Amino acid sequence: MIRRLFTPLTLFLMMLFLIGPFLIIVAASFSAGETLAFPPQGFSFRWIIKVFTIESFRQSFGVSMFLAIGGTLAALILGIPASYAMSRYRLPFAETVRFLVSMPIIVPGIIVGLALLRYFVIPVGMSVTLALFVAHTALILPYAVRVVSASLANLRADIEEAAVILGSSRLGAFFRVVLPNIRGGILSAFILGFVTSFNQVPVSLFLSGPGVRTLPIDMLGYMENVFDPSIAALSSLLAFLSIGIVFAAERFLGFSRYV
Amino acid sequence: MFQNRAEGLALALPAALFAALVFLVPVVLLLSEGFRNADQWTLSAYVDFFSQPLNRTVFLRTLKLSALVTLVAAVIGYAAAYAIVSLPPGAKGRMVGLVVLPLMISPVARTYAWIVILGRTGIINQALQAIGLTDEPIRILFSETAIFIGLLQLFLPLMIISLISALENLPRDVVPAARVLGAGWLSVFWKIILPLTKEGLVIGGTLVFTGSMTAYITPAILGGSKVLMLETLLYQQVTVSNNFVAASVIAFILIVMSFAANILLKRIASARRSGK
Amino acid sequence: MSDQTYLSLENLSLAYGKTTAVKDLNLTIRKGELLALLGPSGCGKTTTMRAIAGLMNPVGGKIVLDGRDITHVPANKREIGLVFQSYALFPHLTVFENVAFGLRMKGVQGNELRQKVEAGLKSVGLLSFAERKATDLSGGQQQRVSLARSMVVQPKLLMLDEPLSNLDARLRLDMRSELQRLQKETGMTMIFVTHDQVEALALADKIVVMRNGAIEQIGTPEDIYNRPATDFVADFVGFENIFKLRDGKLIADGKEFALGAECPNAPGLAWRPGMVTLGEGPFSGTVLGVSFAGNIRGYVLDTPLGPIRAEVDAARPAYTLGEQVAFDLPVASAAPLHRVG
Ligand SMILES: Nc1ncnc2c1ncn2[C@@H]1O[C@H](COP(=O)(O)OP(=O)(O)O)[C@@H](O)[C@H]1O
Ligand SMILES: [Mg+2]
Repeated sequence: MIRRLFTPLTLFLMMLFLIGPFLIIVAASFSAGETLAFPPQGFSFRWIIKVFTIESFRQSFGVSMFLAIGGTLAALILGIPASYAMSRYRLPFAETVRFLVSMPIIVPGIIVGLALLRYFVIPVGMSVTLALFVAHTALILPYAVRVVSASLANLRADIEEAAVILGSSRLGAFFRVVLPNIRGGILSAFILGFVTSFNQVPVSLFLSGPGVRTLPIDMLGYMENVFDPSIAALSSLLAFLSIGIVFAAERFLGFSRYV
Repeated sequence: MFQNRAEGLALALPAALFAALVFLVPVVLLLSEGFRNADQWTLSAYVDFFSQPLNRTVFLRTLKLSALVTLVAAVIGYAAAYAIVSLPPGAKGRMVGLVVLPLMISPVARTYAWIVILGRTGIINQALQAIGLTDEPIRILFSETAIFIGLLQLFLPLMIISLISALENLPRDVVPAARVLGAGWLSVFWKIILPLTKEGLVIGGTLVFTGSMTAYITPAILGGSKVLMLETLLYQQVTVSNNFVAASVIAFILIVMSFAANILLKRIASARRSGK
Repeated sequence: MSDQTYLSLENLSLAYGKTTAVKDLNLTIRKGELLALLGPSGCGKTTTMRAIAGLMNPVGGKIVLDGRDITHVPANKREIGLVFQSYALFPHLTVFENVAFGLRMKGVQGNELRQKVEAGLKSVGLLSFAERKATDLSGGQQQRVSLARSMVVQPKLLMLDEPLSNLDARLRLDMRSELQRLQKETGMTMIFVTHDQVEALALADKIVVMRNGAIEQIGTPEDIYNRPATDFVADFVGFENIFKLRDGKLIADGKEFALGAECPNAPGLAWRPGMVTLGEGPFSGTVLGVSFAGNIRGYVLDTPLGPIRAEVDAARPAYTLGEQVAFDLPVASAAPLHRVG
């Protein structure tokens, strides 16, 4: 009897703990009341609507979008050639390169942000936006390299040689036969990078200036001062955005194969 | 065709240079600050740091909470992972999806939910008062308990996922074989499952421990300004006291602890192997 | 078939980093010839092909094709076809697009492209598979796609790396005759790599036996089969009894043995098992092993010369284990070796 109940009971409790709080947030965002509470007082869209009217959220959403998209693209532009070099050539310093590009995953983000603030923003006058961009790129780089390397490892190196023998240039061979075969990996790396960057807090903590802060940082600031359901509403919206993207990616790309 | 090493290096160079320049150099500079004092190498910053009771408390609290979260996550993780891998394939896939799902949601949102649950007027307090266990709302928020719960919820999926892949790689039928040979469930776990999945446990454990050690959002939201962990302390040192040296010390501690946790867990795993 | 040299490798040396894979290779091929590179695994066959194709830069020597020094011509300008051992089909493209790839690189388009691709697919019997994903086909079919892909661009030289070794026994025979047919039909100059002497003997006009990155012997299949130049080649083509020769005497076990007849002036002699005469002769040995193989019976004899392998007609009465048997190594049938050790 106990054994038969073990599986469903364990799973139910686990899901309650993992997903339950999120469902409460979703419910709270449809509250009609003035303060954050559960069960919600009434039902309305007022907080969902309000989120869109808060100017600072609109601004920081833009910043976060820019960082997530731009940072991921930059990480891919750096990471794809590096992954390619590491998987196809016998590099003299392969381990050093691998270590360098994967380091940002090992070192806590808050330290990266602080180091950039201390040595680039303050003394050199690097703009906060650029510092954020650089920090997010560095943060995503390990993911980009890992995912792209995994897809390259699954692709035979000799198809490129075959393309060259058939008359294609080296660069042409890369675009004609390598890229189409690692496209899924690259898109997966993009999504992983996007979500990672978008949800990232510690790296961005010290990097905020007038009008420039990421959305999660903005939310942290807002919730310290205001105790209304708009953070809940925004959280729900963002969560559904992330889940939607990942779900679509899984559907069309088989995202989880690459991650 | 891929013989030309210079070509390969040239392709890898931008990423390596970028990481070195914007990452390695400033981080190393920052860390070195904690070891320097007016052009001299010294450990005095570390002595200072640990001589203050508050810092010691925060350091020990961070260690304690991270270890506790890792331990509890491992226990729950085994139960959950075992339950999941014993599901039929379709259900298993969906369940894994549900476990991964929270990882896609912003940790700010995930942590924020606990305010609604653990707050003075939150669900727990309402329930406690409703059944008459307490008259006054009890204080759960801004405590170690709240941080513990928040961290556990944040990082449990990482442990479960690591253990699922370890359990899936378990050789077929070893568990039934052990049962047939008369082993009880506890000894099956201790003698068969644990030794065969320890790699997964080490991976999951490292992720959970370092994640908890270096979490900022959870202690910031659920610990408030009083119950600090190392990351929130670091933030305070910089923003309130403008003390970069202390920040550097904390940063170094965080990095060392992360590496140490990984090495320690690996040690434990291999010790179990050699000690049978 | 013209008598002129079409491809020549002159003192070609190839290396991976510091390890030399091929040293001072000299080789010529005439137009329309089918040449086999034969040798055990790791002797440098693939490496040689890759260098000819331009996938690897030689550390020394030169490659001349059709009167032009192509040593430093990039691979995509050489007009040489190579069928990879792994086939190396493009996984994201259909069979049609795989075969069309090289033609598109040459700027062939539209109807002409379609016709050429279809003709290529037809010649390997895969026209009905044109729209399939290339990597969904079976191994043998993939190989033929790869062959068609290399042939439709009409390369000056077509090379095939172990074209038969990944196929099962029946397919291997099919492919063998298919290759012969295609070569006859197109008159294309071909090099194919194999580690199987039977394949090389059956297919090639000329065989190059390689060992440790160097050429051991070049010759027609008859040369190689009947007149191996070295003990290595002799062993490779089935001469199982190989001896050094000094002053007209066999050397075995550090001792000298006189043969029944006068010896040729060569450093070594080799006999196939079938060349050994059993039942009479100056030597004798004990039967160590007997094996029946249909029309023949094989023996291993323990003799003062070391183990001797012999084969005789199975219709003859069999010797039993432990029996003393007289035997001879007839000088007349022996293959004289030019180099031993
Ligand atoms: N990519 C490589 N890197 C280093 N050594 C190699 C590489 N490829 C082949 N070799 C070495 O070169 C020699 C010849 O290899 P190869 O040409 O592949 O032999 P074959 O095709 O005759 O089996 C072997 O000793 C092999 O170990
Ligand atoms: Mg080979």
